[in-house]
Amino acid sequence: MAQNEPRRTRPVLLRVAAVAVLSAIWQALVLAEFWPPVVLPGPAQVWDQLLAASDSGNGQGGYAGSTVAERLGVSLRRVGLGSAYGVLVGVVLGLVMGLAPLVRAVAEPFVTFLRALPPLAYLSLLVIWFGIDEEPKVYLLVVAAFPPVAVATAAAVTGVNRQYVEAARALGAGRAGVLASVVLPASAPEILTGVRLAVGVAYSSVVAAETVNGADGIGGMVLNAQRYNQTSVVLLGLVVIGLTGLLIDTAILALQRAVSPWRGRA
Amino acid sequence: MAEPLVELAGVEHRYRARKADVPALGPLDLRVGAGEFLVVVGPSGSGKSTLLRLVSGFERPTTGVVRVLGDAPVPGRDVGAVFQQPRLFPWQAVAGNIGTALRWAGVPRRDRPERIAALLDQVGLAALGKRRTWEISGGQQQRVAIARALAARPRLLLMDEPFAALDALTRERLQEDVRSLTGEERGVVFVTHSVDEAVFLATRVVVLSDRPGRVALDLPIPLPRSGVPADELRGSADFAALRGEVAAALRAVAA
Repeated sequence: MAQNEPRRTRPVLLRVAAVAVLSAIWQALVLAEFWPPVVLPGPAQVWDQLLAASDSGNGQGGYAGSTVAERLGVSLRRVGLGSAYGVLVGVVLGLVMGLAPLVRAVAEPFVTFLRALPPLAYLSLLVIWFGIDEEPKVYLLVVAAFPPVAVATAAAVTGVNRQYVEAARALGAGRAGVLASVVLPASAPEILTGVRLAVGVAYSSVVAAETVNGADGIGGMVLNAQRYNQTSVVLLGLVVIGLTGLLIDTAILALQRAVSPWRGRA
Repeated sequence: MAEPLVELAGVEHRYRARKADVPALGPLDLRVGAGEFLVVVGPSGSGKSTLLRLVSGFERPTTGVVRVLGDAPVPGRDVGAVFQQPRLFPWQAVAGNIGTALRWAGVPRRDRPERIAALLDQVGLAALGKRRTWEISGGQQQRVAIARALAARPRLLLMDEPFAALDALTRERLQEDVRSLTGEERGVVFVTHSVDEAVFLATRVVVLSDRPGRVALDLPIPLPRSGVPADELRGSADFAALRGEVAAALRAVAA
């Protein structure tokens, strides 16, 4: 992969430059005072807010009882659990759907139906069923995360090149051998694309999940700040959620490259 | 000939089409014995590939009987296959591809490294075991595919135009290697478009007619199998005469 390094450095520089330019424009707009600072605080204020909300000794334990890092940890745990179970359910369901056309015919409309629902819509149902503790938040993320994985896995499995399967059978592979040594590795890149989508959906649903008794998370912080017009805290929450989401996505992408370096080459 | 490796008796094959079945092959009677290198040539659509699919067990004949070592063929049993595309698994390195084949052939784990090394050595790629499949040339990939097909020590090797996508020089080199793949125990059935390739490789050439493929010519090739350099063999008068005979039969069925 060494020959890819120089090519990757330039986009990174480009992106850093883009962020700097956007921040400058943002700061310029704030200085021009088109809007009052309550509506549009500047990047410096958001930065100050980050420092304040990260200081557990500031008299309110960071922001409303917990620091940004603690809140992020709580939310990441929810996203992690929700995504992990969601991916597990999605991969298993997707494999069955991909291998058994009958199951696919029955399950696909349900999966697509679920996918079309906004997570907030079924949160109410989950709250009635499971109360307001940790479970409904994680379940919400599971329900949000598994459909993209199931759809991607089913598509990947049905799309496996028949030539590989035939080559394996010609080499004496049985059904289990074909599944383990051909279907799964051949589907891995697409399944991981589904995982990327799923983690993205789970992450973007965490604010919704934390609308009910989730004040300890990063989404809870945003909701709380909105109630008191603390725009800089809302912005801080958005930046933190967006940046960590970006990092997680980059990590999954790196995993995808590591697992399937052959993608696009064979 | 003792028990034949392959026996086709009254074999006909039709493909299902929308309105009527399309006859692809036969009626065909053919026997291939151990030690034989049978090369099948014929125009496009003469059912050459269908013949291999029937013998490998991927398809069953519409009528008639196909037997491999006396039984109905089952994919992966007694028969190795090399396709036009190498079909190597890109998620495994070169050695891994062969190792997987050995696992499917029931070779115990502890014996596999040695067998992998021996097979790679046999196809002249001893140093390339750790390479990724896309890092090696098309000719090398096809060599790996041959090594992989030989992993289970099949009695019969089926090859479906394995060199069609290779350049002329690589093709000639591989032909020279493949020529020696027959043994006392093993037979080869090889499909090609190329008359030169057929005459060079075969101990026997069968020319199939246009669809549905039937045997138009069944010609023994009594060229020496060893001791004569490949270039000399290709340039010999005997080679030219056999080549002419096969080419004439091919022209006749294509007309």
